Amino acid sequence: MPSSPSPTVFVVDDDAAIRKAVLRLLRSAGIAAAAFASPTEFLAQYDPNTPGCLMLDLEMPGFNGLQLQTALAEKGSSLPIIFLTGHGDVSKSVQAMKGGAFDFLTKPVNAKNLLPAIRAAIERDAVARGEQAKFSEIHARLDTLTPREREVLQHVVAGKMNKQIAGDLGITEATVKMHRARVMAKMKVQSVAELARLTERCGIRGTNSLKSAA
Amino acid sequence: MSWITVVWSINVGACLTLAAFYCAVWCKQRENWVHLLFSCSAVAAAAISAFELGMLNAQTVEQYQALVRWIHLPTWVLTVSFVGFVRLYLRAGRRWLAWSIYGLRTLVLIFNFISPVSVNFRTITDIRHFSWNGEMVSMPVGLPNPWGLISSFSLLLLLIFSVDATITVWRRGDRRRALLVGGSMIFGAILAWHVPLVIWSIIEVPFFLGFTYTAVVAAMGYELSSDMARGARLARELELSDKRLNLAAASADFGLWEWDLSKDEIWVTPTRRAQLGFPVSGKITSDDLISRWHPDDRDKVRQALRNAIENGKDYDAEFRRVLADGSVRWVASRGRVQVNKQGEPIRLLGISMDITARKQAELEAARQRHDLAHLARVNALGELSSSLAHELTHPITAILSNAQAAQRFLDADNVDLNEVREILKDIVTEDQRAGEVIHRLRRLLRKGEPQKHSDDIDLNEVIRDVLRLMRSDLINQNVTVDTDLAQNLPPVSGDRVQLQQVLLNLVLNACEALADCDSSERQLLIASKSETSTVQVSVTDRGRGIPGGKPEQVFDRFFTTKKEGMGLGLSICRTIINAHQGEIWATNNSDRGATFHFSLPIVRSDALSAASSKVLDGSALTATDASAPRVAAPSVLLGPGANGSGEEEPAVSASERLARKEAVITD
Repeated sequence: MPSSPSPTVFVVDDDAAIRKAVLRLLRSAGIAAAAFASPTEFLAQYDPNTPGCLMLDLEMPGFNGLQLQTALAEKGSSLPIIFLTGHGDVSKSVQAMKGGAFDFLTKPVNAKNLLPAIRAAIERDAVARGEQAKFSEIHARLDTLTPREREVLQHVVAGKMNKQIAGDLGITEATVKMHRARVMAKMKVQSVAELARLTERCGIRGTNSLKSAA
Repeated sequence: MSWITVVWSINVGACLTLAAFYCAVWCKQRENWVHLLFSCSAVAAAAISAFELGMLNAQTVEQYQALVRWIHLPTWVLTVSFVGFVRLYLRAGRRWLAWSIYGLRTLVLIFNFISPVSVNFRTITDIRHFSWNGEMVSMPVGLPNPWGLISSFSLLLLLIFSVDATITVWRRGDRRRALLVGGSMIFGAILAWHVPLVIWSIIEVPFFLGFTYTAVVAAMGYELSSDMARGARLARELELSDKRLNLAAASADFGLWEWDLSKDEIWVTPTRRAQLGFPVSGKITSDDLISRWHPDDRDKVRQALRNAIENGKDYDAEFRRVLADGSVRWVASRGRVQVNKQGEPIRLLGISMDITARKQAELEAARQRHDLAHLARVNALGELSSSLAHELTHPITAILSNAQAAQRFLDADNVDLNEVREILKDIVTEDQRAGEVIHRLRRLLRKGEPQKHSDDIDLNEVIRDVLRLMRSDLINQNVTVDTDLAQNLPPVSGDRVQLQQVLLNLVLNACEALADCDSSERQLLIASKSETSTVQVSVTDRGRGIPGGKPEQVFDRFFTTKKEGMGLGLSICRTIINAHQGEIWATNNSDRGATFHFSLPIVRSDALSAASSKVLDGSALTATDASAPRVAAPSVLLGPGANGSGEEEPAVSASERLARKEAVITD
């Protein structure tokens, strides 16, 4: 696996003094951070591969926090967002939470609340990114399978015997065995149970009902 | 003693008495030359009578010759002064006739002294005595002088002149005077004809030329007595009318005053005099009067007075007076300058009224306006309260994060003191920022003093202040504000907080007008520009505009288009702007939205009109018109420095001081 960059907190706030102070606080906690004066500035420089979280001011002139949240969602980013607001405006917080905000804090924010929230967000991002990485790996292995091997895989995870599979696919049992061994090798698994767990995560279901339904 | 001596002497006495009287009258009223002329003619008539008496009693030819020669001198004086008197007193008589008489009479005088004896007699050979009405009188025996005809001719002209003058007076409608004065002088002019008749021996009577004028003297004596009677009646009427006037003035609490500029003496109606604590009689100088004015108002009133005197304008001032009992009363004083023929101001006449009640009502109204404005301001700030709190949240957030960062740095093993120092510096800065927010707020929330104006308000600064205050609110409402502020905007005079309030209201209003718009269209433009005598500020929105096509209505009290509005905001804006001598109006934009404008007069450093000095407790002076007559006003006008210094300031130094003061102010 390639070494991913260290987690970074992206601070987006139009108030320079707040940016500076928050960066200091994060540095004191040993958390890497980068600050941006506006959502547009952030979007221009943001690298989705960098893990971490977004600490976003809700009220900003022009392009505001909620709009940035929407823009990131459209890009498929799963970067956790901690909103900061000076108002505690109910309708806006509801909108933010519906948009999948990780947390919602009011200014002035205490380090006791902020730092745990940020650590939790970074943690979640790391977990999410780990999941994402595994998911990609499994997909990569699946991509190496031939269409026939994929068919055999679907029948295997459905818990069918070689004989049944051979019958269903109209091939010999020996051929099924050969395909099956190749699938196990390509998917780098030792047991059928392991194979089933992997494929389930990718949403591949067994096709035991294929014939009976027909 | 013969009766002739007695009668002629009485005539001399009568003429001299009247002459002395008129001379005394003339001495009192030098401008009235008619009295002097009459006095001269009466003296001349007396002299003629005296000469005649001498002639009637003459014992020798030489004696008679001398008298008949020199009698022409008083005759000339009589004729000349009489003709002058008629022209001046009756304002009648033809000028050419008068000059002809002067010429002929002078000619007669010249011939008289050229002739060996007189213009009347070529020679006098003897004196004969004859009895006339029981008295012996002397008459000359000799040859008449033919040049004497000139004298007769002048007598004829005099008669014509008298008749003509009398007719003029009669036609003018002054019949009593025509009959009395005109009649007596015609009578006299006819009687004077006895002289040539006697000389030519046509009749035999003693000369009584002196008496021909007696009729005029008698008529004038009568005129004089009736003048005196009329004067006494007028004086009585004047006294009555004076009493009535004083009563009227006292009951209406009016004071009448008159200031004699040359003598620096002031007369005021008795009631006012008593109120001000002046003794019943005695001179009041402008210094005395100024000492009764409220010290804070003295310069202002001095300036108004000087403006009136120097520029010939009407004087109009409102100021406070401290009465003898220590109470302070507001007074409105108005006056007008009187000038002499040379156009120099000689006195100021005027009235003063007690306007304390009105002033108190005005002050009360101003206080209520002030209170209302304050309430409205508190209300408007209430609308902004959450965004104002937000404005405070920013620095506090920064402070908290900084402080907690510093705590953590200090807990670490290797303390970076530079870092901590930086943090503390930032904390101080942010604290100041929060302080400014609070300070701005407090300034707006404070009630302040009514009518506390400053003269150096930069409206651009007011605009920036309000935008700073509303920053969060504008962000919150997604409104973007563009400004187009003129550089070097001239200062205006007024209450800074109230002007901020006007702008705050206009911006809040504009934001509300934009509430229904798409967020990309929520734009405001605030512009300032300077016109010739005003500074104008406008707030333009792209909202729905003013409904109903009556933009003026929006300034009416309780007019509102909002569900929750009280309709006070814009009406208070108008009240405030009006109190600043400004104007406020609204227009719908041609495409969309509305623009609210207000304009305020520029503070002029070079000139202050009398009107504006009423409003602003002005310290600047009125620039004087160079063509207007300039006089050295009494030094008392020129500032407290001249007060009680005990020495009269020369006029030159006074105008220098004035020039200096003006120079300071125009700077």
